Amino acid sequence: GRIQERQGTVALCPSPCHCEEDGIFIMVDCSEMGLSTVPISLDPLTTYLDLSMNNISEIPPRAFHRLHLLSELRISGNQLRYISSQALQGLHNLKVLMLQNNQLERLPDDAPWDLPNLLSLRLDANLLSEVPPAAFEGVRSLRHLWLDDNSLTEIPVAALDSLPSLQAMTLALNQIKHIPDYAFKNLTALVVLHLHNNHIQSMGSRCFEGLHSLETLDLNYNNLQEFPVAIRTLSKLQELGFHNNNIKAIPERAFVANPQLQTIHFYENPIQLVGKSAFQFLPKLHTLSLNGATQIREFPDLKGTTSLEILTLTRAGLSALPLDLCEQLPRLRVLELSYNQIEDLPSFYHCSSLQELGLQHNQIRRIESSTFKQMTSLKALDLSWNIIERIHPEAFASLFSLIKLDLTENRLSSMPVGGLGGLTHLKLRGNEELFDAFSPDQFPQMRVIEMPYAYQCCVYGTCDGYKTAGQWDTEQSSTTEDLQKRTVSMYPIHGDTHYDPDLEEFQQEIEESKLQTSVHCTPTPGPFRPCDSLLG
Amino acid sequence: QHKQISGVSSGCQQGGCLTCSDYNGCLSCKPRFFMHLERIGMKQIGVCMTSCPPGFYGTRSPERNTCTKCRSECDSCFNKNFCTRCRPGFYLHLGKCQETCPEGLVRSDTQRECV
Repeated sequence: GRIQERQGTVALCPSPCHCEEDGIFIMVDCSEMGLSTVPISLDPLTTYLDLSMNNISEIPPRAFHRLHLLSELRISGNQLRYISSQALQGLHNLKVLMLQNNQLERLPDDAPWDLPNLLSLRLDANLLSEVPPAAFEGVRSLRHLWLDDNSLTEIPVAALDSLPSLQAMTLALNQIKHIPDYAFKNLTALVVLHLHNNHIQSMGSRCFEGLHSLETLDLNYNNLQEFPVAIRTLSKLQELGFHNNNIKAIPERAFVANPQLQTIHFYENPIQLVGKSAFQFLPKLHTLSLNGATQIREFPDLKGTTSLEILTLTRAGLSALPLDLCEQLPRLRVLELSYNQIEDLPSFYHCSSLQELGLQHNQIRRIESSTFKQMTSLKALDLSWNIIERIHPEAFASLFSLIKLDLTENRLSSMPVGGLGGLTHLKLRGNEELFDAFSPDQFPQMRVIEMPYAYQCCVYGTCDGYKTAGQWDTEQSSTTEDLQKRTVSMYPIHGDTHYDPDLEEFQQEIEESKLQTSVHCTPTPGPFRPCDSLLG
Repeated sequence: QHKQISGVSSGCQQGGCLTCSDYNGCLSCKPRFFMHLERIGMKQIGVCMTSCPPGFYGTRSPERNTCTKCRSECDSCFNKNFCTRCRPGFYLHLGKCQETCPEGLVRSDTQRECV
């Protein structure tokens, strides 16, 4: 157990632990050594002691009383049921105490632990059903507290009163049902509060009073019935989560007192109604997702919420969009409005950053020349499952970045191609009055195209030459080897002219040529879907 | 000062393993343990721990407990937005690691904090 001689003193490394020097101090690792008691010959110059993952079920009084310089003590993963105040006597300099993954059933009440410099206390994954009022009176400098994964049924309000320096706390994975008013009134320095995975049904309207510094509040996976109006005292809140609850409505001006909010997660709630002004004046909010709020009739008024980049408002009852939508949301990148009843579209002229626009499953009839004008960043446009009869010839003229266009299941008899030269994916299935066949030259980048009829795919060479119905033999489409054979023959090696192409370059040319000719066009022509149009 | 001596042996001898293989270490953990994939050369070894390694924070949930990387400027953290100790050259203030301190506070290199 000796480490080395130092000015006449010998540093002791308790067997069977491993020790490491840190200047004049030593760091002792006794983890996973099958110990059932705390080693006794611990050197006073120990600054780090790891006793985790052993079978220690008790810490005798004064076990660490000589370790005045100990900074970090890990006793996680043992069988401790209780730790008395005497057990931790003498640890004046302790900053980190890890007691998680034990069997702690209670904390000392009459004589609390005296750890004046403790900053981090881990009590997670134990069996605590309550925290005595005086439990934290000896750890007033505490900044980080883990009480998650215990059996608490109430917020330990009195005990928390002793922690004015606390900055981060988790009470997640307990059985807390209610948050009373003034539950955290002394925690003026708290920045992070996790309460996820509890049974919280109700909360006092003043329950968050005092949390002047709170930036992150996590109420996910609870049983909240009402919108948490108590958040209006949290002026510094940046991240709020209450997804997977039972909230049915978001009130008017819901976040008016939380101007710093950047993210709000509230999916998986049966939200039916959203106040028109609910999401106003959130200048830092960049994502807003509302799905299935069927009682929303009008597009939300997003005045003052100018940094929105992603807006999802699906499965509601919208029938129209505000004319100044793009002026209100100049930074919008993704706009998803599927499964509404939208009939007429405004001009998206000012949505110059918009890259994805989802309008599928609405009631749109016409596309005007101004609708998508100057949307030079738009990459994907989904207009499927509408009732579009007419698209203005110039409608797509300035969509230089568009690569995906979906017009499935509409009523088109013709489609303008101006501006669509960059398309790689085009879907027109279900437009039964659309008989034109587009020439491959019109879509040089095309890779996947869905047409109403099989014969419209013949221009893409997916049936051997332009065969009429009578010439079609039973041989089905070629196998991969055939394709390779035919491709190689397109690039004969010039055997006699010592032209010895660089093999890698040669294979790359083959790959590129495969890409150019392999446009996946459906429905694929065949014996029962001949190349010539049966309808003349 | 807070150097973690890795007390966790790999392979199947670990105390926190529920299922394991000698080649990949822990495949699943006992309840309340954190699963972490430790990279050793080209291999990834599953390790079950009571606390995540330095530079990672733990998130407990009913289904599983996972370790997630802290922000790059943090040595240790409480969650992705709240650091508890900074890397050299950064100074901690209210959970943020910054290269400068707010007015009225000065940089302490020993504690890596604004004091």
